Amino acid sequence: MSGFTASNSRIRVVETVSNVDETVFDTDNDMPHIVGTTYLSNVAVDFDDLDETQNYVGEECSPTYTLETVLVWNPAVWDFTWVWNPGSWDWVYNWSYSTTDRVSTYGFFSQERVYTPGFYEWQSEWVYDPCGTYVPYYEYSVDAEEYSSVTNIANLPTDEDGTALDIDFVIVQATGTRSTGGKDPRFNQALPTTVPTKTFSFQGSVLLESSGEASGDSWFRRIMSVYPSGSKLKLKVQESVKSISRGAYNTGFPHIDESRSTYSFNLKVFFGKFRQ
Amino acid sequence: MAIVLSITPTRFRASGSKLDSQRRYISKVSSGEDLRFVNGQNMDVSGGGLRYVTPTGANVDDGVYTGSFSGSAGTRVKV
Repeated sequence: MSGFTASNSRIRVVETVSNVDETVFDTDNDMPHIVGTTYLSNVAVDFDDLDETQNYVGEECSPTYTLETVLVWNPAVWDFTWVWNPGSWDWVYNWSYSTTDRVSTYGFFSQERVYTPGFYEWQSEWVYDPCGTYVPYYEYSVDAEEYSSVTNIANLPTDEDGTALDIDFVIVQATGTRSTGGKDPRFNQALPTTVPTKTFSFQGSVLLESSGEASGDSWFRRIMSVYPSGSKLKLKVQESVKSISRGAYNTGFPHIDESRSTYSFNLKVFFGKFRQ
Repeated sequence: MAIVLSITPTRFRASGSKLDSQRRYISKVSSGEDLRFVNGQNMDVSGGGLRYVTPTGANVDDGVYTGSFSGSAGTRVKV
């Protein structure tokens, strides 16, 4: 039967539904309640740029043209050459007739031996070598990284004696902006962020950014967690990076130096307990 | 004006109906919970991958995660 009882330190409310008594409220039960609220403005989260490494892969041959000069010995040679001996007209005195006659002599060819002595000479020519030199080539990879930092962002609520309460749960209501949108080092585009533009609530952890390989497998994650520990409220920021290769030789990741992301959050933190 | 205290045979209300027998309030239970309150970190990253710890304490990995983080199950709560 529905009813209300208050006895000693216990208050109990019962609601009867379909002849079944249901406890609506009972101070003897562990009932969640908020023991404190904290407002935190401009909580900064900062992820540095990623790093890359140049990896030596090997050498590849490259063609060359070389001007080569050599000293060449030209041996002595004997050559036969045809030489023309021209004809001539001569005046000859004819004693028989006491006359002077003109007499021709025909020209003729003759063969003569000509000697050319041997000699040295320098000769130059361009020589093509399809593999004349070897050039090293490199592949770039994003450095694997595991980053984590924990900071105290608030004190936990305290009791009358100033002792931090043993908090059972924390609910965070957040608004956040990404003040620096880091780029995927492979592409000229910002890393996808999961932070909504509106107010959102969470308990525990939030995924901030992620990126995948062509296969769809994750290679990059950035998260943050808010939780109580000891007498403090902690903010833990983590980044995990699996090494990936550029997939091309001799060119680095074009946006590796633009991969830094920063966030600014306003947090309203509710500290809860189940039992006083 | 808000009801400070009202007690009838079928209904109890107090503190401006913040306490009302026709409402349901959540309480911690040992079993038969409707939901769980998470308290603490429930994600971890390692090797470029992510582990998510469900409110029941089960690990859900993305197939890349290489760490060994173990979160804890949330507190059982019933409405």
